[in-house]
Amino acid sequence: MLRFVVRRLLLLVPILLGLSILVFLWIRLLPGSPAQALLGERATPQLIKQIRHEYHLDRPLYEQYWGYLTTIAHGDFGVSISSRRSVAWEFGQRFPATVELALAAMIFAIALGIPLGFLAAKRYGGWFDQVSLVGSLLGISIPIFFLGLVLKWIFAVKLGWLPSIGREDVLATRPHPTNLYVLDAIIRGDGGALWDAIKHLILPAVALGSIPLAIVARITRAAVLDVQNDDYVRTARAKGLAPRIVDTRHVLRNALLPVSTIIGLQTGLLLSGAILTETVFDWPGIGTWLEAAIFNRDYPVIQGGLLFVAVVFVLVNLLVDVSYAVINPRIRVS
Amino acid sequence: MSLAEIEAYVEEELAPQGGLWRDAWRRLRRNPGALVGFGLVGLFVFIAIFAPVISPYDPRAQNLLLVAHGCCQGPTWAHPLGADQLGRDELSRIFYGARFSLVIGVVSVSVGLSIGLVLGSIAGYLGGVADTVIMRTMDVMLSIPGLLLAIGIVAALGPGLWQIMIAVGTTNVPIFARLLRGSILSQKENDFVLAARSVGVPRRSILVSHILPNAISPVIVQGTLALATAIIDVAGLGFLGLGPQDPGTPEWGTMLTQVDRYLQSAPFLAIVPGVAIVISVLGFNLIGDGLREALDPKLRGRA
Repeated sequence: MLRFVVRRLLLLVPILLGLSILVFLWIRLLPGSPAQALLGERATPQLIKQIRHEYHLDRPLYEQYWGYLTTIAHGDFGVSISSRRSVAWEFGQRFPATVELALAAMIFAIALGIPLGFLAAKRYGGWFDQVSLVGSLLGISIPIFFLGLVLKWIFAVKLGWLPSIGREDVLATRPHPTNLYVLDAIIRGDGGALWDAIKHLILPAVALGSIPLAIVARITRAAVLDVQNDDYVRTARAKGLAPRIVDTRHVLRNALLPVSTIIGLQTGLLLSGAILTETVFDWPGIGTWLEAAIFNRDYPVIQGGLLFVAVVFVLVNLLVDVSYAVINPRIRVS
Repeated sequence: MSLAEIEAYVEEELAPQGGLWRDAWRRLRRNPGALVGFGLVGLFVFIAIFAPVISPYDPRAQNLLLVAHGCCQGPTWAHPLGADQLGRDELSRIFYGARFSLVIGVVSVSVGLSIGLVLGSIAGYLGGVADTVIMRTMDVMLSIPGLLLAIGIVAALGPGLWQIMIAVGTTNVPIFARLLRGSILSQKENDFVLAARSVGVPRRSILVSHILPNAISPVIVQGTLALATAIIDVAGLGFLGLGPQDPGTPEWGTMLTQVDRYLQSAPFLAIVPGVAIVISVLGFNLIGDGLREALDPKLRGRA
């Protein structure tokens, strides 16, 4: 087990190095020169020269890359052009909001997707199965920002049941030690704040969770169908175990293995989907942060943000791989 | 005849006639989902091609009289899908928008597919250093979530139609490269490749005329599904304001950016372009699913 983890960790090194090269080269892709991009309208030959010198842009490319690598290794990801704050600090402020949203979306997708997929497989070929198949196909065909807009229109604008933007009541002034508002409210034992945070979470989480929901339901259905007729399941049924016990202990437990991998693969989708969802619901996370950075041409933020998100994605996948090996001994051996 | 012989005879009788493609086509025609998919995509392509003929108005023409009494005018006989905040006919904009979605989708998937095809073939067929370098680069590209990579590229190149096509195309490259490499690796060991090599067929023509045709069916399935994803991603980029910078351009995603503030008074402005996106994406997804089932060798020969 330890060997497996160490090997996976070593595989991480070239990926992270490759990522740093990609993100480093990204700023060289900018139209004109990076110095010009940083200065924007204010660019004069004099200033450009100064900036080029200041950022070592007049050095050879490999030297520049080495410089970039050493600064990020020291945890220095530059300073936002528009807010003049450290990119790493801003990321730290914004990230919990996205984590909270992504977790809520995932919980929604799993809590609904697994039972739906299981029931569909149990009623294979029946109307429930057909409806859920069509539903999951629709689920992956609806752009999340459109679903977000529709949800907002129905539940916020028409019915007025749920708030349409933000993470909490605009007038609320509550302390947020962890920046995960649901957790903060629980820590303080503040029921009102908890309800407020959850109310704001529901619509964005449903919008963001729609695609994972469809995929989880589909994979669960396929996996249950696959497992259902295996020998050990038949044996379990033949020896007279209660159907409920066979379903949970034999069928579902084995069917959930492929489902767990799929859930891990969804994090990338959640992270990129978060940009669109956060834009629709004005959610102050990584997505709206990057979106604003793109419009302000705040290149250090975009560069740092892309790197952070990619690293998070890579780490989550590593975590999924390792936990998968823990659940499924067959992976460890090979 | 022994039982085994009879079984073999029956198998032979039931075996598909006329090769993989005809067999796949036969099964595809019997799949109601795929038929609906063909219908939806056919409608989409028809509208895209004949947009100038069937559109009742110029999609960019503003009729400010329509917004004289507040935004926005709902569906009427003259404007079946209503008019937007500048009094432009929504139906005509949807028709013309189909052109943008179709062209951007097809171009970006073709870009990703052709580059991915070349890289994947080289990696899979040559192996060795080329394989390692190409596939590790693809791994790095895949370590950035797709849409985010596209956003990063557009952020660097600047917003616009071409930039979106390049961005979405680039995100498709590693997917196709990986798929084709795996497919080629599994074909490479086949007897017919060995046979071709032993009679002295040059390496390049072994790859092009023997391996690729057999390795291509997963690529076709993925290509169809990638079209669906590309349309969604392009609309997403448009929604984020990274699409064509001329706000008059009737691109579906871009049309959705402005509607937020009209949700109360004119929800149809959000629903109409959204439904258009869903219909076209659903069409490609249905065809892709149908193709996957039809081309699955495990299911070959069955109805």
